[in-house]
Amino acid sequence: MSDLLAARLSMAFSLGFHIIFAAIGMTMPFLMSIAHYKYLKTKDENYLNLTKMWMKGVAILFAVGAVSGTVLSFELGLLWPDFMKWAGPIIGMPFSWEGTAFFLEAVALGLFLYGWNRMNPWVHWFTGVMVGISGFASGIFVVAANAWMNSPQGFQIEGGEIVHVDPFEAMFNPAWLHQSLHMQVAALQAVGLAVAGIHAYLLLKKKSKEIHQKAFVIAMTLAAVCSLLQPLVGHFSAQRVAELQPVKLAAMEGHFHTSSQAPLYLGGIPDPEKEEMVGAIAIPGLLSFLAFNDFDAEVKGLKEFPKKDWPPLLIVHLSFQLMVAIGSFLALVAVLYFFFLYKKSFPPWFLKACVLLSPMGFVAIEAGWVTTEVGRQPWIIYGFMRTSEALTNIPGMSYHFYIFLFLYLFLGAMTAWLLKRLVQHYG
Amino acid sequence: MVETLVNILILFIGASVVLYVILGGADFGAGFMECFVPKHLKAKQREVINRAMGPVWEANHMWLIILVVILFMGFPKAFGVIVVSLHFPLVALLVGIVFRGCAFTFRHYDAIKDETSQKIYSFFFSLSSVWTSLWLGIIAASLTRGLLTKNGKDAFEIFLEPWLGVFPFVMGLFTLAIFSFLASVYMIGETKDEELKAYFIRVAKRLNISLIVIGGLLFLSSFLEKRSLIQEFLSSGFAMFCLVLATLLFIGLWIRIKKDSAWLLRVIAAAQVSLILFGWFSITWPHLILTKEGAMSFYQAAAPEPTLWQLVMALVIGSGLIFPSLIYLIKVFK
Repeated sequence: MSDLLAARLSMAFSLGFHIIFAAIGMTMPFLMSIAHYKYLKTKDENYLNLTKMWMKGVAILFAVGAVSGTVLSFELGLLWPDFMKWAGPIIGMPFSWEGTAFFLEAVALGLFLYGWNRMNPWVHWFTGVMVGISGFASGIFVVAANAWMNSPQGFQIEGGEIVHVDPFEAMFNPAWLHQSLHMQVAALQAVGLAVAGIHAYLLLKKKSKEIHQKAFVIAMTLAAVCSLLQPLVGHFSAQRVAELQPVKLAAMEGHFHTSSQAPLYLGGIPDPEKEEMVGAIAIPGLLSFLAFNDFDAEVKGLKEFPKKDWPPLLIVHLSFQLMVAIGSFLALVAVLYFFFLYKKSFPPWFLKACVLLSPMGFVAIEAGWVTTEVGRQPWIIYGFMRTSEALTNIPGMSYHFYIFLFLYLFLGAMTAWLLKRLVQHYG
Repeated sequence: MVETLVNILILFIGASVVLYVILGGADFGAGFMECFVPKHLKAKQREVINRAMGPVWEANHMWLIILVVILFMGFPKAFGVIVVSLHFPLVALLVGIVFRGCAFTFRHYDAIKDETSQKIYSFFFSLSSVWTSLWLGIIAASLTRGLLTKNGKDAFEIFLEPWLGVFPFVMGLFTLAIFSFLASVYMIGETKDEELKAYFIRVAKRLNISLIVIGGLLFLSSFLEKRSLIQEFLSSGFAMFCLVLATLLFIGLWIRIKKDSAWLLRVIAAAQVSLILFGWFSITWPHLILTKEGAMSFYQAAAPEPTLWQLVMALVIGSGLIFPSLIYLIKVFK
């Protein structure tokens, strides 16, 4: 394994691992606070038990998210020192705000976890909400930093030196809004769906029905609302990518030749040699419409760009298609959910489907991040610095990769085991 | 202007290091204390540790993140050298941090508390507490050895030379001693149980003595590095003042330790440790790191002015949010 590949895989695994816990960290507190609110209002013990069950999940998952986040804050420098030296002054601002938000989150979590019967109940409730709000804010800040890598601005280069740094302009770069919207909605959607899946499973096992019914409705309502919103947000994101990173859009869609009335491909595999899509169903004009709201708009193809600037086509195309497929399917599930909610009864087959679907939101998040990150290659800072230029000059990166791979696999297995015990205990 | 901004950032760095050590450090020390507690006090001590540390557990470790952010945003040139030349110890540190953070929380929040799994969590918590403390000390010492370099030729120069040596290792031990000394003193006031309290007092005294002994070893081992810490301290009036005051405070600590003055003891111990850090800080001043290619001061390593402005603003506003909530947290639980 080359050092570059090992470093990229290390980064991919660290981010891919952390993003799951980050998403949970910014969503679960809200679910928990809804249940807690209902308890404080109705004094229904079911809601109290639910709050405490979710709280224990939050505690475990937050800890894993916090340590994997700490690793990441170092790893950016350990793997890509020249990137950090270069980018740190420009894009450090969202990181410093993220640090602040993370800190507040940790304080609020301490207050919420241990504050039972020690504080005014509503102040205590509010600390739970604060965990969610600060987690949500840190998510936005971190994604803004990533967005800068896709659409860098807020600096100038004179004679190889960075001058006229404007951290504010760098943070609010053209990609920050669509990327954070897309991610934050995805987090709510994926976590809502996963939690709903767990409670659907417990409902099917006919254990303490009322509490799981309540839990299922809270979590699935959130997931369903977000699943209906997400296609719109995704559409907005694709349009921004078309404008900001046309080569990424072309790779996502397997679009080789610049054309108006560009077709949208379903499925298929891009063939970089023949420069065409193999085995795809083409819908004429749809890509033009999706990218520019106009069936006749011209969409730039990969051929417009030198081959050395192409991202790996197959990975980007497949992961993008996977994300879109899941997203579209979840929108349908959301419609069904609201239908059954209106009817006030969920048939067992629907609950079973929810159990099976529970990891799909996370799969879509991972696929989406693979799309945007691999789609930015070969650049680490789009148009300015290549990933290979940023790599540390330290040899033996494959060991780094194996150490963290092992660590994360172990930690992932441990977390799953702990959650299983939590579900068993409360089942 | 740049100089003023850098000075403000140095204050924030100093504050983060001091707070990380006197707040977070005690958590590390508690993990080490679990290693040698007599069997019959084990459960009670663990109870005290959980109760005292639980609410502040995550918050105490945020100082490290703040520190990293200040370094890479405000002092990118130094950060670039540190992450390359200390790759190995930093990875070791991170592995420790991961195990520690998880083990402690898992132990408390595992829904089913059977003996085997609790034992395993405790084992990992103690082991990783010791491991991580040692590496923190090693990293701190390595910053000032003058062996950091981005241009290492072979594996030895790249991976090992910057941190491998007796002096950094003794610094690791010293860090562990500081952390566990703080933990033992803090815990005296956390329990009403007379036997446990007497035990904490005994441990605190022993750790206090080991702290002085290891501190002496640290001075001696510096000769192996062809430098003399004694000389360095003697040549700085402020460093000497810190060292002497920290030592004198031990007397106060020993006098008050049996009296019922938990907060006074905590303040004394925290003050001693802070003074040691101030002293250490002042002998390396104004250098942030010492590399093979020469010393790099805070001012040389600093980012462009607009970045420093934003960072200072973020830190000032952030402190305005963080400190009140942190004080509220401590008020609710202590």
